[in-house]
Amino acid sequence: MSASRTPQQPPRGARSQRARLGSRLRAWGRHHRAMALDSLNRLVRYPLGNVLTMLAIAIALVLPAALWLTLDSARLLDAELTESATLTVYLANDVNAAQAGRIHEAVSAQPAVDQTRFVSAEEGMAEFQQSLGLDDTLAGLDANPLPASIVIQPNDVDPAAMQTLAERLGEMAGVDEVRLDLAWIERLRHLADLGRRLALALGVLFGLGVLLVVGNTVRLSVESRRREIEVVMLIGATHAFVRRPFLYSGAWYGLGGGFLALALLSLGGQWLALPVAALAESYGAAFSLPSLDVTGSTILLSCSTLLGWLGAWLAVTRHLASIKPG
Amino acid sequence: MIAFEHVGKRYGGRFEALAHLSFRVARGEMVFLTGHSGAGKSSLLRLVMRLERPTRGRIVVAGHDIATLHSSQVPFYRRQIGVVFQDHQLLFDRSIFHNIALPLEIQGMEPRESARRVRAALDKVGLLHREKALPIELSGGEQQRVGIARAVVNKPALLLADEPTGNLDPQLSADIMALFEDFNRIGTTVMIASHDLALIARLRHRILRLRDGRLVGDEGAR
Repeated sequence: MSASRTPQQPPRGARSQRARLGSRLRAWGRHHRAMALDSLNRLVRYPLGNVLTMLAIAIALVLPAALWLTLDSARLLDAELTESATLTVYLANDVNAAQAGRIHEAVSAQPAVDQTRFVSAEEGMAEFQQSLGLDDTLAGLDANPLPASIVIQPNDVDPAAMQTLAERLGEMAGVDEVRLDLAWIERLRHLADLGRRLALALGVLFGLGVLLVVGNTVRLSVESRRREIEVVMLIGATHAFVRRPFLYSGAWYGLGGGFLALALLSLGGQWLALPVAALAESYGAAFSLPSLDVTGSTILLSCSTLLGWLGAWLAVTRHLASIKPG
Repeated sequence: MIAFEHVGKRYGGRFEALAHLSFRVARGEMVFLTGHSGAGKSSLLRLVMRLERPTRGRIVVAGHDIATLHSSQVPFYRRQIGVVFQDHQLLFDRSIFHNIALPLEIQGMEPRESARRVRAALDKVGLLHREKALPIELSGGEQQRVGIARAVVNKPALLLADEPTGNLDPQLSADIMALFEDFNRIGTTVMIASHDLALIARLRHRILRLRDGRLVGDEGAR
């Protein structure tokens, strides 16, 4: 740029051009470092107001993050359910043990069948008693009313494929009934899908909230440093130079808010852990609340930092246009 | 160094701050700009600093046509001009040293070289012993000297001053003017707006007189 070179200077050679570029890059890095520290210093100097700003950011981030975590655990549950998606083939009551064995073999031979487990009438009774804790009542029965059954894990857990398999098995001799319960798995999936969209919408909405919070805070600090901005622009500061400290403070707000959000999430998780565990146990399931892993935390922190930076950029850029030095 | 060709400046479409202004200032010259308040002195300086664009005419400063200068180039243009303001425009939250270092910091000068230049400028205006002080601790005359040191620290080819002695007593004013003469002696082009007629008459430099936005006198031109 001709204007950046004082006119008296003669044109320089390639080597000094390179040296100039190097020193310009060093100066650039120096200013970045200085502004990052300077903006951090300013944050630390007024801790209360700045922590409140970060808290507002954190609260805006916690809601979508918590919803996302819940959905993630629902997805885990869904995977477990899919894995346990089984068909149960109930044999007719008049089938004897030898016939039952042959039916079991025939069922196992089906190409769509992955694994099978044969449950004799006695075993079925024992499982039933165990799961209900109704020893006394059932012991009073003369004969075992339960049929023998075969629990099948299909190769393909796709609902349509399972339906086809169930129909084919139902036509076999000696089979009384084939039971498969898919409707609620489907429902759960639809619910999860709905929740994911909701989380995304909330995420966008609260992300905008973060932009506004940071934007407003940065707008105030631009206003309070208006004189300084005017002076440095009078003596030749570029917009990038003026913007830099504010962008850093925006990024710090975002990062601080992100850390606070992580803390809130883990606090909330601990607070809910006990009742959730108790509830899960009452259903005989081992389920614990999920928490953000390293990847999740990194994503949350980078998103919040980026949002803070962007909010600051929008506020400063909009404001700089209105600041005319002199 | 500075060339005005039929320059006019209107504000808000009606008020004509400057009209049909044409003059040249050679490299290394020292020029006073005078006239009653509202005559257009400040408007003229604002045009040279490219704080405003002329509504008509052409302004060329140090080889740059100011009107066609792209706004992204303006910061780099301003770095070639040192400006001393009547109200100093110092930053009150940092020391004298850091105030003067500001233009060098903006240019990204290496800190050691920058410190050397700041001390040289402070020495020149006789305030080397006050580098750690805050602007508020200095007298009006000293603050003005800090403003001058900041204007010359990056060795500009052109030095502008808007009423640099506006609030100073005669002795301090004379000292400040002597300082400008020193810079002029080492080759800096100096342009000073002042209504202190008695003082500038004594100094025997070229004087441009403005009245109602028009050039009405050009005395002592070399």
